[in-house]
Amino acid sequence: MVMELEYDRSLYGKEHEAGPFEVTKEIIQAFSQSIGETGAVFNDESAAQTAGYRSVVAPPTLCTLYVRRVELPDINLKFGRTRFHAGQRVQAKASICAGDFLTASSHLKEVYPKTGRSGTMVFIVWETTFRNQDGEVVADVQESYAARE
Amino acid sequence: MTQQNMPYFEDVELGDEIGPLQKVAADGEVVEFCQLWGNPMPNRFTEAAIAAKANLPGPILPGVMSMALMAQLLTQWGGAGALKDLDLVFRQPVPHNQPLSIAATVTDTRQENGENLVECDILMTGVAGERYVGGTALLSLPTKGQ
Repeated sequence: MVMELEYDRSLYGKEHEAGPFEVTKEIIQAFSQSIGETGAVFNDESAAQTAGYRSVVAPPTLCTLYVRRVELPDINLKFGRTRFHAGQRVQAKASICAGDFLTASSHLKEVYPKTGRSGTMVFIVWETTFRNQDGEVVADVQESYAARE
Repeated sequence: MTQQNMPYFEDVELGDEIGPLQKVAADGEVVEFCQLWGNPMPNRFTEAAIAAKANLPGPILPGVMSMALMAQLLTQWGGAGALKDLDLVFRQPVPHNQPLSIAATVTDTRQENGENLVECDILMTGVAGERYVGGTALLSLPTKGQ
C-alpha cells in the first residue's frame, strides 16, 4: 500500500538563498584544526600554491558549515514526533580556496517514506548548490532528515 | 595538482583497503567545530545534560563533523582534490573522546568521461565494532601517463 504523506508540496521548485560567505584562510585553518587535518595544502599557503592552488585549500566538506545559514521553511510534514539528521552527501565540483566567496541556493529535493524493521520513517531531503564569486558551481550538498513515529 | 605518495589509478585494485585512520574527537575540538558551524551553544553536541534530554548517552559529534573526519581519510590517501562524491548515512550517535576507526574498501574502478574513477565503501567504527557512519565515496585519480 502506498503511504500518502501530508506536507507542503508547494515548496517544490522554490529556491532559498544565502550568502555570500567569505572563505577566509582563518576559517579553513580553524576547520582543519578542529578535525586534526594536518595536510599542508589545507594549512599552509605556500604549500598550496606550490601544489598549484590559488591559496590555502578548503577540505572538501567545509561548505557543509554554510548549509544551515540558509533559512529553510518548515515543510509541515504531518508525520512523526522526532526528527534526526539521517545522512549527508557532498559532491565536490571544483576547489574552494581562501579568498573565495560562496553563495548557497537550497531547494526541497524529495520527501519519501521507508519502512524497515524499526517501523516507518519519512525522509526529507534538501539540496544546496554552492557557487563561487565567478558563478562556478563548486559543490552540491544533500542533507537528509528522518522523521520517526 | 599532485602530492607525494598519492596513488595512481593503475595501482588501485578491487578490494584494496584504504586506512584505517584512527581519530579521537576531543571535547574541545567539537566545541571549536560548533563555533565555526555557528550552532548556538550549549547544545547536544557539547553539553551532557542537553544530550541526556534528547535520550543520548552523552554529547555527540555533529554529522557534518563525522563527515569531515571521514573525508580526511580519502584526501590523505588520494590527495586534496581527489574526492568527488561522499554519501553517508549516520547510523548511530558518534561519541566524543572515544577511539574512532575510519576505513574504506575499493569496490569499483573505471574510466569515464576522461576521468579515472575509484569507488569505495567507507565506514566509521568504534572500539566495540559499533558501525557509526557508513556510505560510499567516489574519487578521481591521475594515471601514470598524466
